[in-house]
Amino acid sequence: MSETLLNVGVAQVRLAKEPTVLRTILGSCVGICIYDRIKKIGGLAHVLLPLDTAHGTNPEKYADTAIPLLVQMLLKEGAKKEFLSAKIAGGASMFKFESNVTLGQIGDRNIEESKKMLEKLQIPLLEEDTGGNAGRVIDFYLMDGHLKVKAAGQEKIYYKV
Amino acid sequence: MHAQIKQRIESTINNLAALPTMPEIASKILNMVNNPDVSFKDVAEEISKDQSMTTNILKLCNSAYFSRGKEITSIDRAIVTLGIKEITSIVMVIAAKPILDKFVIGYDLGKGELWKQGLMVANLAKKIAVMKNRKDIADVVFTGGIIHNVGKTVIAIYVQNTYNDIINEVKTKNITFNEAEKSIMGYSHQEISEKILEKWNFPPVLRAIVRYYSDPENAPEQYRAEVSAVHIANTISIMAGIGIGSDGLYHQLSSNALDSLKITNAELEDLFSKIPEMGKQIQDLA
Repeated sequence: MSETLLNVGVAQVRLAKEPTVLRTILGSCVGICIYDRIKKIGGLAHVLLPLDTAHGTNPEKYADTAIPLLVQMLLKEGAKKEFLSAKIAGGASMFKFESNVTLGQIGDRNIEESKKMLEKLQIPLLEEDTGGNAGRVIDFYLMDGHLKVKAAGQEKIYYKV
Repeated sequence: MHAQIKQRIESTINNLAALPTMPEIASKILNMVNNPDVSFKDVAEEISKDQSMTTNILKLCNSAYFSRGKEITSIDRAIVTLGIKEITSIVMVIAAKPILDKFVIGYDLGKGELWKQGLMVANLAKKIAVMKNRKDIADVVFTGGIIHNVGKTVIAIYVQNTYNDIINEVKTKNITFNEAEKSIMGYSHQEISEKILEKWNFPPVLRAIVRYYSDPENAPEQYRAEVSAVHIANTISIMAGIGIGSDGLYHQLSSNALDSLKITNAELEDLFSKIPEMGKQIQDLA
């Protein structure tokens, strides 16, 4: 089976099934990958900010609205909640900034809110590759749910599903 | 420091033919706009000499990004409707695209990523200028934003060869990626950009933008605002993952830049939150 690569942009939620690979590029944003290991479908949410301040006008942008949306979309496609699990990546920070600049903390806040949402929805978070100062290119393979993270010239693969 | 790499970079920047070429019309127009003796007829005449530029300008004038609603079918009309400064921005978009719209090895940027980041930073820098009531610098920071990373296209091959040393230098000496570029290769990409703009005969304000966009506190006082706008735009863009490469976020977010434009935390977060919508706005320029 040939793989098709689907790019996920900033503030986008995308679903796919095997053999698609979902790719996104992350700085301070967080990529949340959720997978149904039985049905072999999954989705990726690329969130820019932790909390929805726009009151539902762009739910794909915020961790607290994009993650429930992603889960809802998966269940609609036939996924079963008990077979879902999550991996997250991203949330890097600028190397140097003054502590009074609040945007500097946005990566950490994105990670924190993403974890909180997953916990609230009772989706187990199995692996994370977060924080630091490197950019990340992540590839989420729907054939078996593994996640490849390329950061600062090195690759890591996370297999748990 | 890799003496041999430094030497190779030196011979590259001293060989004008090895640096990217900008169509003559672009530098002519940039320098004309700043000359009060130049009339819009002179500019129109200059543009008309270049047929493909003329066609491309008319196309962009009618794009969603630049259009003012009415269809524009001549350069004269374009200048009257959009103004000379806006036409200069359009010329820069057209002239810079072939130089920047490519795969950049070393920094690990896929084809088009450097170009799209240039457009994003241009658009953001312009928004910052307008937001802070500095409409007078809106067009020059747009142009500066497009080309701020041009030196990367030349130095990339050397970054590819020394990447591990650069990243080690960042971590062991706690310095930014561009400081480490300089310490390992003898040059940072900002210095290369400055050389390129010298070759192009671009005005000093643009040279200051490309040279100091990552350390705006060192920019000449008279260009501090312009440099700061591009610094902030670039920082927001890479934080959102637009144009982020192997150098990651190993950079600074300069408080000096925020202070010199009096940008508040709320304004900064608001600009960051608008990135997805801005991405859609610049789509028809990419």
